[in-house]
Amino acid sequence: MLALQILVNGILLGGIYASIAGGFSLVWGVLNVINILHGSFVVLGAYMAFFAYTLLGIHPYLFVPIAALLLFAIGLAVQYAIVNRVIDAPVLVSLTLTFGLTLFLDNVMLNAFKADFRKVNLRPPLGIIDVSDYLPAIDIIVPVDRLASMAFAILLVALLYWLLRRTSIGRAIVAVRMDRYAASLMGVDTRIIFAVTFGIGAAMAGAAGALLSPIFPISPLASTAYLGKAFVICILGGLGSVTGVLVGGVALGVLESFGAYIFGPEHSLTLSFTLLILLLIFRPTGLLGKRGFI
Amino acid sequence: MKRTGGLLLLGLCAVVLVALPFTSSNYIIRLATFAAMYVALAASWNVIGGMAGYPSFATAAFFGLGAYGAGVVLSKTGTFLVLGWLCGGVAAALFALLVGPAILRLRGHYFAVASLVTAVVLREIINSATNLTGGGMGLNLPPRISDVDLLARQYYAVMVLLAVGAVGAGVLVSRAKIGWALRCIEQNEDAAVVLGIDTLYYKTAAFALSGLIAGITGAVYATWIGYIDPTDVFEDILSVKPIVMVLIGGLGTLYAPVVGALCFLLLEELVWRNILSFHAGVLGLLIVALLVFLPGGLKDLATRLPWARRSPAGEAVRS
Amino acid sequence: MRDRTHAWMRLGQVLSLAIALLAFGPLSRSLAQAQTGPIRVGAPLPLTGPLSPEGIKLQQGYEIWKDEVNAAGGINVGGTKRPVEIVYYDYQSATPKAVQLAEKLVTDDKVDFMFSPFGSGATKAASTVAEKYQIPTLAPTASSVEVYDQGYKYLFGTFTPNDTLSEPLTELIRAKMPNAKKVAILARNDLYPLAIGVEFEKSAKKRGFDVVYFEKYAINTLDHASALTEIRNTKADWIVATGYTNDMILVRKQMADLGIKAQAITMINAPAYQEFIDATGPLSENVTSAGWWHPAARYKSKDIFGSTERYTELFQKKFKYVPDYTAATGSAVGVLLQMAIERAGTTDRVKVRDALAAGGYDTFFGPLSFTPAGQAISYVPPIFQIQDGKTIVVAPDAVKSGDLKLGVR
Repeated sequence: MLALQILVNGILLGGIYASIAGGFSLVWGVLNVINILHGSFVVLGAYMAFFAYTLLGIHPYLFVPIAALLLFAIGLAVQYAIVNRVIDAPVLVSLTLTFGLTLFLDNVMLNAFKADFRKVNLRPPLGIIDVSDYLPAIDIIVPVDRLASMAFAILLVALLYWLLRRTSIGRAIVAVRMDRYAASLMGVDTRIIFAVTFGIGAAMAGAAGALLSPIFPISPLASTAYLGKAFVICILGGLGSVTGVLVGGVALGVLESFGAYIFGPEHSLTLSFTLLILLLIFRPTGLLGKRGFI
Repeated sequence: MKRTGGLLLLGLCAVVLVALPFTSSNYIIRLATFAAMYVALAASWNVIGGMAGYPSFATAAFFGLGAYGAGVVLSKTGTFLVLGWLCGGVAAALFALLVGPAILRLRGHYFAVASLVTAVVLREIINSATNLTGGGMGLNLPPRISDVDLLARQYYAVMVLLAVGAVGAGVLVSRAKIGWALRCIEQNEDAAVVLGIDTLYYKTAAFALSGLIAGITGAVYATWIGYIDPTDVFEDILSVKPIVMVLIGGLGTLYAPVVGALCFLLLEELVWRNILSFHAGVLGLLIVALLVFLPGGLKDLATRLPWARRSPAGEAVRS
Repeated sequence: MRDRTHAWMRLGQVLSLAIALLAFGPLSRSLAQAQTGPIRVGAPLPLTGPLSPEGIKLQQGYEIWKDEVNAAGGINVGGTKRPVEIVYYDYQSATPKAVQLAEKLVTDDKVDFMFSPFGSGATKAASTVAEKYQIPTLAPTASSVEVYDQGYKYLFGTFTPNDTLSEPLTELIRAKMPNAKKVAILARNDLYPLAIGVEFEKSAKKRGFDVVYFEKYAINTLDHASALTEIRNTKADWIVATGYTNDMILVRKQMADLGIKAQAITMINAPAYQEFIDATGPLSENVTSAGWWHPAARYKSKDIFGSTERYTELFQKKFKYVPDYTAATGSAVGVLLQMAIERAGTTDRVKVRDALAAGGYDTFFGPLSFTPAGQAISYVPPIFQIQDGKTIVVAPDAVKSGDLKLGVR
């Protein structure tokens, strides 16, 4: 029963992780840019949700689309004005550039919101579902807010999948992802596509931030931890594969949970990062083994 | 002309370097020691990142491993400092030899991520090996000389020697066959394979040399500061700083680590001194501005400035 | 190519000139302001990075003391009043940078005294510098005994040792639940939180508790569900968790997520901070903790604040929140330094050091006297519990404002 509970913990955690990684994977895949700024975008979304709830009383889940829109605008602007200028430069340059932007954004948030840790306290709290109340044989507890985050994560990924598959802008993004030069020859303005894609990536980060505002403490210092998770999930799920983040997220969540249980909580981080290196070396296409374009 | 100018410059640098410990306060010496440390780290990165074009974020891993290699050896055995430093360097180089062949098969982002993560894994391992490393409690390495002024100057000298050695190693490498091989790899790795270059061999050698230099630097740093803990010596920013430095100096030159590291230190110090709680933000903006407006680093600036347009022999003036 | 080389040379020359200026510049600085100008105190602080919440509080503590002293004309040094000037630097939560700054403050900024950086680790590392230059250094936030047992003579700390928190708290819990057997401990694998976790283990074993679970978690852990699931399985009566505020907020939330119901939950040190109560809401109810000071204390003091009450009032007026022990200890090292200088009648380092060592200072923070090693040992840290969203002191009897309650939702 203990193992079952740990499995449930892991899957729910994985849902949250997937929501963090979605936009990061998209940007990496399409723009070939590792967006170090992603973790800070998540934190910014969480702060927005926090203030929306405490000042205006807007529920974080209702705030998800608003956070997404706000961050879409920010992401679009950042890409169009700054990142686009180095889009053809070597890996190193875009990575270092977004690192510089993160230093800036984190420092701005530290000064604007202070270093105090905050968290959205839903009133009334969503509570937990004790499965044994319904099925006495199964002693499992499921926190509702995590369950909701998981549902939202799946919804977001589905939405993105639909966007890429069914809309003209989505198809243009996929075309650029496959071959940016061919796409530009076909009349696609890659600068615009890059900006829109980066905007969507930021929007996903903002949505994730709003989703985790009732779950994790909010602070400008949290951005690196989220970024680290996004890295591992992308590698696990296959780079640039949008549906892969669900697989990668859940895989990481389950892995960390059992890692902490078997080797002790001290080692769960080490375990997931070691796995990342091994996967990179032996199976760089991810657990699913497909090089996804969507 | 070019030759005498270069020699003059070298001579001037030597004079300043030698005069510094006799004329300056301990704090300035400490700053200069940091400058030398930055030069060494940038030169270490340049071997793999600049010459071979592999975006390595493993500097922090090497640095931390070197610091702990020396720290553990020195605190357990109490042997000579120099021996401890070498142990640190060798530990990092061995690690590079071990991990290099695996992760150097990866390219671009994949390599960048893999190298970045090695530092995280090492940090966690060292953090949990409490018996050996003290874990989160850190490791204390009491200084062996009690005279403060002498101590500062001793480490200044060691770090400067290390920096000179690191830059010198870079020059030697670039002139040797390995330098040629690395440049081939940087330009087109597939073509290099066709040319019959054993790319993995040369890449691993470069990675190990980078590890050795950064490892020794970490080791010297550990005994100099006297206290290390895993979060400090494996800090991500230690991997990023050398890259920014080389980018400032201009990717693809041998002088970039020196010029870039000095400029970076001056910049960092200026920003940090004058802005109490927003210095990281300003530094971030400066990095962004540099990459956007000066993608080739100071090398570009140098050719763009008005006084640079006059060519030395007074020949044609470019307009 | 040729003009490029030339440009390089020029650049090199400009650079070497800059270095030379940096190198020779400080010589021209005069040392004139010694006897009449302000008393300069160096304070390296973690204003950015992981420790910034604590760093900012500490700075507020220093500031309120400085403003209060300067409003009164300054520190009375043998009859002349000299104002206080605090030189701040941000060490970015990186210990080596803190050490570097300590040296800068002494040699470059020529400070007369120092307040050490945050926490035991950085204090220990930086104390070496202060000792080398024989600068009396006051440590506001170092509690580990190892910081003080280096044989240094210029280091004085306001925090009593870690076991002065774990011992009375464990004693209280034992008295309140005499039949409880099992205790589970979850500690952050980091200098101070781990040390305090180990102290709780010792204190609990000493009183017949069975430590059924003791695990460390890594810094940057985003999920405690596995550890807490195991703890839930042990059916521990008492759960002790240590870490920084963000860790404790997450641990408390996840305990609720897993429906953990223990008789008592102790968290070190987050509950001392209002932000913990705000972030956990009703979940903070009945969480116990201990700290070195609490605004509910009622010390009458001979320092510039006069009493704990007045200090708390002033602080709240200035910074709009009730001070916690981190802010308070910042002010405490200030008044301690001031009283020592006034007692010595001079800013002579050795004399001020001797005055500090002699002890017997009545401050709003509590009576301060030090062990020969330099650590405070003269007061009993309060134990408190969050009841109805407020921190209530439950021990020691002298300052207590309520009784310990059992049961956690």
